[in-house]
Amino acid sequence: MPFPPAVARAIAQATVPAADRERLAGLHFHDAGHGYDAFGMHPDFVTMSTTIVRGLYTKYFRVISSGHEHIPQFGPAILVANHSGNIPIDGMMMWYDVLTHTDPPRVPRAVADHFVPSLPFVGTLFARGGMVGGSRGNARALLESGELLMIFPEGTPAIVKPFRDRYKLHPFRVGHAEMAIRHGAPIVPCGVVGAEEQLPQLTTSKRLGKPFGVPEVPIPAVPVPLPVRYHLLWGPAIPVHKDYTPAQADDPGVVEEAAARVQAAVDALIKKGLKQRKGIFR
Amino acid sequence: MTRPVNVMVTGADAPVGERLVRDLLDDSRVDQILAVPWKVGDHLPRDNRLTVVPVDLSSSRRVHRLLFGAARDLNIDIVAHTTLHRSARQEGSRIHRYNVDAIRSLLTLSERHPTIRRLVLRSDAAVYQIQRDLPVLIGEHHPLNMRGNAPQWIRDRVEADITACTRMGMTPLEIVVLRTTEVLAPGTGSQLHDYLQSTICLRPAGFDPMLNLLTIQDAAAAMQRAVHHQAQGVFNIPGADTLPLTAAIRAWGRIGVPVPGSILAPAYRLRSEVTGHDFRYGMNRRRFHYSGVLDGTRAREVLGYVPCHPIRWPSHDGQAASA
Repeated sequence: MPFPPAVARAIAQATVPAADRERLAGLHFHDAGHGYDAFGMHPDFVTMSTTIVRGLYTKYFRVISSGHEHIPQFGPAILVANHSGNIPIDGMMMWYDVLTHTDPPRVPRAVADHFVPSLPFVGTLFARGGMVGGSRGNARALLESGELLMIFPEGTPAIVKPFRDRYKLHPFRVGHAEMAIRHGAPIVPCGVVGAEEQLPQLTTSKRLGKPFGVPEVPIPAVPVPLPVRYHLLWGPAIPVHKDYTPAQADDPGVVEEAAARVQAAVDALIKKGLKQRKGIFR
Repeated sequence: MTRPVNVMVTGADAPVGERLVRDLLDDSRVDQILAVPWKVGDHLPRDNRLTVVPVDLSSSRRVHRLLFGAARDLNIDIVAHTTLHRSARQEGSRIHRYNVDAIRSLLTLSERHPTIRRLVLRSDAAVYQIQRDLPVLIGEHHPLNMRGNAPQWIRDRVEADITACTRMGMTPLEIVVLRTTEVLAPGTGSQLHDYLQSTICLRPAGFDPMLNLLTIQDAAAAMQRAVHHQAQGVFNIPGADTLPLTAAIRAWGRIGVPVPGSILAPAYRLRSEVTGHDFRYGMNRRRFHYSGVLDGTRAREVLGYVPCHPIRWPSHDGQAASA
């Protein structure tokens, strides 16, 4: 954000419990020289952002999550989940979930669509919290430095899908599988249940998105997201880095097979979550 | 033990070239140094090992005379070409000759020169394209800025860089291109340095891209490493300072004022017209929106270059003084 880290630190000190601040002080972080990493992430902004997200996570969406033991405590890994809800609250919930359930805390680096960095204020705020633009070079650099990537392989079309298509996965793009094989990173699948019902959609507008380079802007049926309950189910890591050699990352058949395995794992976790939940709001 | 080398340094009246000359004078692996400033001046030290020959490199005939005159007489082994025309306000065929044709002449003549075996060219990170869907961390294979409407300042840099790259491996001449990130210092042609000369720095609201900045010392150190190394090819040379635009404005002791992007170009055009400042917003628009940080992995692994001279930010100096 265009205000100094000292302001973010002051906000964090006023709003984030001391125990949380102490825990986040041990954040895994590559300082490029002025307290920021090369992508613009800053620990004080991460801590400050938890203030906003914590309320949504604990009070509004009352997230229930399981399977955190599958998230590696160190080294490169790719977290892969289904994407939905018209606005990326699912990403925020996953971000907070990983941040609070890893020890030492790890910031999942959300890989966003190309248009997100070009959104004024939002792009900068997300970058300070660890988001990176969706380019192969960014993902490669982060994996090589042992970071945790968070990818939604369905892409933007999934987040703006109609209400009737909820919990139907769009075909997964294969880039995440290729990168995992090439850079020796396990893939941890995550099923997100609840986001699909948070903001039922009436229609979408391509024209409204044009000024910001956004492919489609959803027109929701309700003005604010509904207080649905989120369920995050983390599944066992898929060891694509052990099942395939880095050279096989250039084999389209192998990459598609690996992506299909990931999609099947995410689909199974969604079905499990749907079966477990007692209702949309419970 | 290898014999000391003789080095010719062009742009010896510009800050990086001058610093390189001084560093080479302290370098026991270097014997003779031929410093080539644009004009006669007394800024270079007096030393028995240093010969100063002012030459206007925009003339190919003069470049020829230099290489097959003074350079041959001094048995120059390595040419370090350190500078391109610095002002973005000046354009035209003469500037193009200085930026591009000079490099073409240096390449062609060095290839058939009896003593020159290596050419180290300082290029510029401005050759890289910066846009929202490209990686923040810029590797040597990053797309170049080939936009047709780019100003001459950028087009010349891209053409000079490509001119050198296309000759790599074609002849025994060893060619090294160092794409240095912006040197934040006066007299270096730094657009950001010029931008930071105003007390109020206008910037696009809602954006705060990451920048990487270099010092004269590190730029010269990278050139010096390339002079002595055997490696060829393209190397990114990042600086020790990676920070957001707003942090750079604050650290320089300036006040950043966010304004809608659409008024920045006319505002800075007016500033340039009225005050003669060099900064052109149109040329920097993309990097004032999207991050672009040079990835120096190849330079670190091959040349052993690691930036170790951070910028002395005025506000930090002030804090240190008051402490």
